[in-house]
Amino acid sequence: MALFEVSGFKPYSELRGQIFPAKQTHLVDRTSHYSFGTKIQEFAVPLGVEPTGFLKSCSSDGGVNIEMNHGTTTLAFKFRHGVIVAVDSRASAGNYLASTDANKVIEINPYLLGTMSGSAADCQHWERLLAKECRLYKLRNNHRISVAAASKLLSNMMLGYRGMGLSMGSMICGWDKNGPGLYYVDDNGTRLPGRMFSTGCGNSYAYGVVDSGYKEDMTVEEAYELGRRGIAHATHRDAYSGGVVNMYHMQEDGWIKVCKEDVSQLIHRYRKGMF
Amino acid sequence: MALQDLCNFQDIFQDSLTKLCFLGTFEKNTACDYVSSLSTRSSTSLFNFYIPAAEYLDESPIQFGQISNIQSSSAISSQESILSPSSLPTSLPFASSQSVPLPFPMSHGTTTLAFMFQGGVLAAADTRSSCSGLVACPASQKILPIHSHLVGTTSGTSADCALWKRILARELRLYQLRHGRRLSTRGAAKLLSHMLHPFKGTELCVAATLCGWDGGEVDDGCHAGTVIDLRGRGGTTKSEMTDQEKYLDTLNEKVSLPETQSSTFSEQYFARKKVSFSGPGLFYVCSDGTRLQGTLFSVGSGSPYAYSILDQGVRWGLTVDEATSIAREAVYRATYRDAYSGNCVDIYHITSNGWTRRTREDLKEEYYREKERRRHEGRGRQDVTVSE
Repeated sequence: MALFEVSGFKPYSELRGQIFPAKQTHLVDRTSHYSFGTKIQEFAVPLGVEPTGFLKSCSSDGGVNIEMNHGTTTLAFKFRHGVIVAVDSRASAGNYLASTDANKVIEINPYLLGTMSGSAADCQHWERLLAKECRLYKLRNNHRISVAAASKLLSNMMLGYRGMGLSMGSMICGWDKNGPGLYYVDDNGTRLPGRMFSTGCGNSYAYGVVDSGYKEDMTVEEAYELGRRGIAHATHRDAYSGGVVNMYHMQEDGWIKVCKEDVSQLIHRYRKGMF
Repeated sequence: MALQDLCNFQDIFQDSLTKLCFLGTFEKNTACDYVSSLSTRSSTSLFNFYIPAAEYLDESPIQFGQISNIQSSSAISSQESILSPSSLPTSLPFASSQSVPLPFPMSHGTTTLAFMFQGGVLAAADTRSSCSGLVACPASQKILPIHSHLVGTTSGTSADCALWKRILARELRLYQLRHGRRLSTRGAAKLLSHMLHPFKGTELCVAATLCGWDGGEVDDGCHAGTVIDLRGRGGTTKSEMTDQEKYLDTLNEKVSLPETQSSTFSEQYFARKKVSFSGPGLFYVCSDGTRLQGTLFSVGSGSPYAYSILDQGVRWGLTVDEATSIAREAVYRATYRDAYSGNCVDIYHITSNGWTRRTREDLKEEYYREKERRRHEGRGRQDVTVSE
């Protein structure tokens, strides 16, 4: 409380009263007031029911059981020649397949990629917002944003809405002046740098394959094959992953899209002679 | 245990049980008897399972940390302070005496796998027994031999699996004695599944894959080779060995008349000719009633990690060495990522001659070897400059 006074913090309602004329505050468009890092610290939430309380009542303790499943498989790993990003393309709504050709990689700029897993709406919205912020950063500062900073922005956005039901598991991959970068960002606000990540409910299947075949000094072709295999085997065993493998390769001068292969054909190729 | 049922031990146990209610204390051997009384009497009679009444539990809680929230007598509260105060799941209501509350929280962390290939069946498992965060035993055995040509991997609650494997082994042995041939793997799976069915909906958790080799019993029965069949090749646990030896001793007089038996066998063989099957068999049986035949199974919390490795590499035409290395790699990858799997790996190989067991390998060595390998590769990387 003392800190509030020292830093000149004013609660939002008071501030709103100063900015807008009286009796018009309820007409303010509250969902577009993002001002990350500037003086007003506020997060827009929908009017009405308090989100965290509502979500707690939706868990199995409260009698209802709404499960947020992250139905997908995405993987990314760093190796000597850059970062490989591979994702599946199945979008499911419960037991219904909403799309077999969903795009789960967002191309933020020619040097940054973001993958999506979890709620499709959340991922698409927040990562597009991240793309906007990265662009603004470049315009303001005349140099590209680093991967660490971009992932930090996303993670702070997630932290602002922590506990309110966002569902997003994403990997921010890029190449900046420190070399290839790979960060995992979560709807809890987790942000982890690492060499290899896999997200989604098929991630355990992908981990087995990629851990087994990973070598630091792989050739580019071997890395492509490893990424393809990881997704293909995960889609084979996981019901919520499928479709095609979309693979990107992040190189020093930007990313390239490597392939878009149907997993059923890949599996057919891999399991030839099995039984 | 089998002997206890055959000689109606249960009556004696019930008397001692009423005595113990008054004493209010439990010693270790009586806790074991409590378990043994749950075993079946014989396959022909109905399964008689002793379910303790609720009042009995109020008077004398079992020593291994069971706490229930419906305690009336003050004696219990004093005992509770002595017992381990570990956090427990909410115990089931005592309104009905149908179910017994869990003594401590159970979790089903393991990795077991089994697959068929041209050289027979290969079964592999890790050796970590965990109890929700504690590694209760880093060297447990999750693959239990049932008889010379049948091996079962266990997953779920260790106690349940061990008990039901022994019951299954006893029932298969009785079948063999009565009918003069081994029950097929398919039949054993069906038998286990039907034995577990009365417990559907309870806390019992057994997920086993039965790996065996069927066939050829007719010829074996004619020779004195029956004696050899009862022993598995390779290492085996002492308790299993003594059981089998016991059976052998009681059986010797039957085996000594091969000639008369062979004629009856051949008659039986011709009568049953159309259903004879010889070769490897692999079945998955679960206590919720699932019974599946397949060529590749992996069970446990580490199974997703193992599945992808197995899907990559398992083919019918593998050699034994290749199959062993794939199984080892699959278990290793699962132990690498899954917290509830670890320590060592056991590999069993079942062929027409029975099962053989590889010496147990510590996966820690494999982990360090891999780390060295990565470090060598990483050193090469430093030479490559990353331009800015």
